[in-house]
Amino acid sequence: MKILWGRKPTLYQWFWACLLILSYGGALKAQSDVPIISGGVGFFDNKEGGANSFQPVIAPVVAIPIGDRWLIESRSNFTGVFNRQDGTTGPYQGQFFGTLEYLQVDYSVNSALTVTAGRFLTPFGIFNERLTPIWINRFQDGPYIGTIGTAGGYADGLMARGGWDAGSGLSINYTAYASTLSTVNKLESERSAGGRFGVFFPKTRLEIGTSYNKSLQGARGNSEGLDVSWDPYSAPLDVKGEWAHAPGGEGYWIEAAYRLSQYRGGSSAIGRLEPLIRMQQFHRGQLIAGDFLPGINERRPDFGVNYYLPHEVRLHASYGRQFNDQRDSNIWEFGVVYRFLFPLWPGRD
Amino acid sequence: MKRITVCMLLMSACLVAAAQEQPKAPAKASQFVEPAKKANESASDDGEKRFEANCGRCHNAPENLSPREARAVVRQMRVRARLTAEDEKLILQYLAP
Repeated sequence: MKILWGRKPTLYQWFWACLLILSYGGALKAQSDVPIISGGVGFFDNKEGGANSFQPVIAPVVAIPIGDRWLIESRSNFTGVFNRQDGTTGPYQGQFFGTLEYLQVDYSVNSALTVTAGRFLTPFGIFNERLTPIWINRFQDGPYIGTIGTAGGYADGLMARGGWDAGSGLSINYTAYASTLSTVNKLESERSAGGRFGVFFPKTRLEIGTSYNKSLQGARGNSEGLDVSWDPYSAPLDVKGEWAHAPGGEGYWIEAAYRLSQYRGGSSAIGRLEPLIRMQQFHRGQLIAGDFLPGINERRPDFGVNYYLPHEVRLHASYGRQFNDQRDSNIWEFGVVYRFLFPLWPGRD
Repeated sequence: MKRITVCMLLMSACLVAAAQEQPKAPAKASQFVEPAKKANESASDDGEKRFEANCGRCHNAPENLSPREARAVVRQMRVRARLTAEDEKLILQYLAP
């Protein structure tokens, strides 16, 4: 390996090599379950307070089913950030960042229990686990409180999750995890434990959840959160929101999206349009270095629109106004996202 | 020559008759296929409902999935969206009937 690559492979490269080997082995074992590569490619433009930046992003997801119970899955994110040299003037310059967001092995005991080992998205609230993919998140950026309780977003350790029908028109779901401290390049994580407990009412498509996280290093603080998701059957409306509290601060975000598919169908010119609105607020608590939260109190309304083109392409535009004690600013965002999905190798069904 | 002409006419008549009878055969068969088709459509409707109740709360259905791609997608979503075995089966029928 050292001779071929000219240097010692990193742990990150070892993971990818193992993934390819396992995908090949897995496919030989179960020809009917083909591994897939999916994900999103995007190009975003953000203008905040007059400073423009461009962000090309590619986020591939690999899923390798092995037999009926095993699944290996991974998501990476490669993002470039290009800004003007002096903020609002000068030539553009930038760099690319690569992140391994998860690389996990799942074993499904039954629908009430799946055991996961490896690197996974920290299960706190609904944003980090469900809404971070660029082809899902309706706005380009995450909420202020998106990092509360997530210990940096990623955890290395063990997780148990599942759900069951509790009768009386409701179902229960849960996630519990423990993460270890890792300082390995690209696989950093904090020592922490926590989880989420949710109640879902399928008849109204209303879900309410509560989350808890205990940091087991540094300040050893607790984080608590509440989340809600409502998608009524009677209208193409999607409402989501979260409240979270941590020693570093507390805040909320609430977002509503209405797809105009009731006007001449979802494939009509107007039916592809989706107006959006989001409100969020954050109150700073203790100043804790590296908690990824805003340094001061912030509040921000956003208004946007998505347009769903055929072939999984989505256009986005939004305007937001950020208010804080230092300087208010306008935030303009434009972007295009393409969602792709291919089998990892050709074959017949 | 007359015999050949008569034979050809008879053969043509038989072919025409056979061709006219052919639609009847599938019609009979379709009486047996129809309930199965209806069951498939019903399963697909249930699958759509399950998709909308679980996956559709976060994203739209992927377009043009082949059955084997759909199997891998649903396997992944079984973990992420905590789908039951029944959900998985019906959503699979909906995504790749």
